[in-house]
Amino acid sequence: MLNRSSGVWICVALAIGAVLFALLATNPYYTSLVVWILTNAVLASALRFVLQIGELNIATAAFFGIGAYTAAITAVLFGWPFWLTLVLAPLVAATLSALFGWVTLRAKGPYFLLISFAVTEVIRLIYTQTNAIGGNSGLVGMFPPMAIDAYYPALAVALLAATLFALYGVERSDLGRMFMAIKNNDAIPRSVGLNVVFLKVLCVVIAAAAVGLAGGLHAYANNVIAPADFTYFVAILALAYVKIGGEGHPFGPVLGAAVLTLVGQWVAGISAWENIFYGAVIVATVLAFPGGLVGLATRARSLVIRSGQ
Amino acid sequence: MELFVQLLANTLQIGSVYVLFALGLTLIFGVMKIINFAHGAFYTAAALIVTSVVPFATATLGLPLWAGYLLAAIAAIAVVLCLGALVYSLGFQYVLKDLNGSFILSIGLLLVLNGAYLAIYGGAPRSVPQILPGTISIFGATLTAQRLALVIVAAIVTGGLYLLIERTRLGLALRAVAQDQEAAMLQGMPYRRVALYGFMIGAGLAACAGVLMAPINAVTPVSGDEFLIKAFIIIIIGGLGSVAGAIVGGLFIAVVESVGGYFFDPSTATLAMFILVIVFLLVRPQGILGNAE
Repeated sequence: MLNRSSGVWICVALAIGAVLFALLATNPYYTSLVVWILTNAVLASALRFVLQIGELNIATAAFFGIGAYTAAITAVLFGWPFWLTLVLAPLVAATLSALFGWVTLRAKGPYFLLISFAVTEVIRLIYTQTNAIGGNSGLVGMFPPMAIDAYYPALAVALLAATLFALYGVERSDLGRMFMAIKNNDAIPRSVGLNVVFLKVLCVVIAAAAVGLAGGLHAYANNVIAPADFTYFVAILALAYVKIGGEGHPFGPVLGAAVLTLVGQWVAGISAWENIFYGAVIVATVLAFPGGLVGLATRARSLVIRSGQ
Repeated sequence: MELFVQLLANTLQIGSVYVLFALGLTLIFGVMKIINFAHGAFYTAAALIVTSVVPFATATLGLPLWAGYLLAAIAAIAVVLCLGALVYSLGFQYVLKDLNGSFILSIGLLLVLNGAYLAIYGGAPRSVPQILPGTISIFGATLTAQRLALVIVAAIVTGGLYLLIERTRLGLALRAVAQDQEAAMLQGMPYRRVALYGFMIGAGLAACAGVLMAPINAVTPVSGDEFLIKAFIIIIIGGLGSVAGAIVGGLFIAVVESVGGYFFDPSTATLAMFILVIVFLLVRPQGILGNAE
C-alpha cells in the first residue's frame, strides 16, 4: 500500500507532468484548461485549509477577486512590471484578509459563514460602483511580458502546484496540528497558552495569500476580469470540489476540482441541465458518499485488504 | 408629511415580504441548525405555480379572477408543502445540525430546482393579471390596492405564526427543540417530527410570500434568490433562530432600502445594508434578539 511519502512523490510527478503538458501542448484550449483546473484546485484547497479551524470561509471568493484586481490594477492602470504585480497580488489579499479575519473571527459557525458571504458581496458591489476600475465591465489587457508569453501557462501551472504543496506542508507542520486542535475544541489550545484568535487569523491569511496568487495568475491567464467573475458562487463551487473530492484528505479538493472542471467543460452550454447536473452530483455526494471520491477509494482499498487476508 | 407616509408605505410593502421570507429561514435555522440556501426555491415554486394556475382557472374552468387566484394560492402552498416534506425526508434529515454538510446539500438542491424550473418554464418573465385593480390614497401618499392587500395578508400570516409559536403545543415543541435539542428529546419530544414540521412551516411561509408577490412582480425561475441574500442579512441582524428578531430585522432592512433608495440610489442602499450588518456583527454578534452561544 501507498505510504505518505510515496503519495507525495506521485503528486510531484503529476505536477511535473502538468507543467510539461502546459509547456509542450500546442492547443491553447488544453493549456488554458490545465491552468483553470489548477486554479480551481488552489481555491478548493484554500477553502479546505480554513475548514481545518472549522470555519467555512465564503470570502475565499473575495480574496481571489482581490488578487486578480490587484494584478490588473497595478498592471493596466499603473503599468508596473509583471513580476511586481504577481508578488503584490497575494500580499494585498493577505493584508486585507488579516483585517477581515481580525474583525470577523470573533464570530464563528453560522455567523462567520454569513458574514463572509456578506463581505464577498460588498467587495463585488464596490468593484461595480467604482468607475476607475471599469465598473461592471471590469478591466481588460493584462498580458504577460512578450518574452515569457509562450511559457506563461507552464509558469502558472508551476506556481499553482507549488502553492498546493505549500498548503500541504503547512497542514503537516506543527502549525497544522494547532489548527486541528482549534477545530476540535478551541478552549483546550487556549488553556495551554496558545493565542487562538491569532492562529485563526493566520489560517485565514495563509489561505487568502494562496488564492490571491491564484487570482493574479488568473488575471494574466484570462486577460480580462469583471466583478461577475468573483461572486460568492466561486466559493460555492470550490466547496463542491472539496465535498466531491473528499474533505478528509489534502488531495481530495485537487481531485474534485480536476474531475468537476473536466466534466463541467462537457456539460457547459446546456444551461438548465448544467445546473441540474451539478446540483444532482452535489446532492448525491453529500448523501451517499460523505467522504467524497477519496473516501470512496479508501473504503474500496480497505475492502480489498480485508478480502485478501 | 406626504413623503414620510409614502416612504412608510414603501417600507411596509417591501418589509412584509422580507419578514415572511426571513421568518421561514430563521425558523428552519432555529429548529434544525442549518442554513437553507434553497429557501428561495420554495418562493419561486409558489410564484411559478400561481402564474400557471391562474390562466388555467380563468380560461379553462371559467372561474372569476379572484376565485382563480384563490385556487392558485391553495394549490401553490399545497405543492410547496409537499416539496418541503420531500426535500426534508430525502435529504435534510440526514444532515441535521451539520452546518457545512447541510449548506452544501441545500446549494445542490437549489441548483437542481432552479434548473428544473428553467427547463419547465423557460427563462422569460411570467406575470399574472392584476387581482385588485385601483389605487388608494392615504395622507396624500398613493398605494395600489394590491400592495395594501399584500401588507395586510402578510401581517395576518405573521400574527398567526406568532400565535402558533407562543400558544400551541407544536409551538412549544419548536421552541424547546430550538433552545436545547437534547433536553427536548430527553423529555420525550419526537425531534425528527418536530424538525419536519418546522421545515414545512418555513417552506409554507416562503410559499405565502411567493403567492403574494406573484401578481405584483413578474416571476422568473430565479425570483426567490433575490430575497435570499437580504434574508440572510435580516436573520443576522435579528439573531439566528429568533422569530421576533426576523420581524424587527425585516422591517429595519426595509427602512434602509426604501429611505436609502429614495435619497441615494438602490445599489448604494444595498452597499449601506451590507456595511451596516458588518458593523452590527462587530458590536453585537448574536443579533438584536439572539442569545449568545
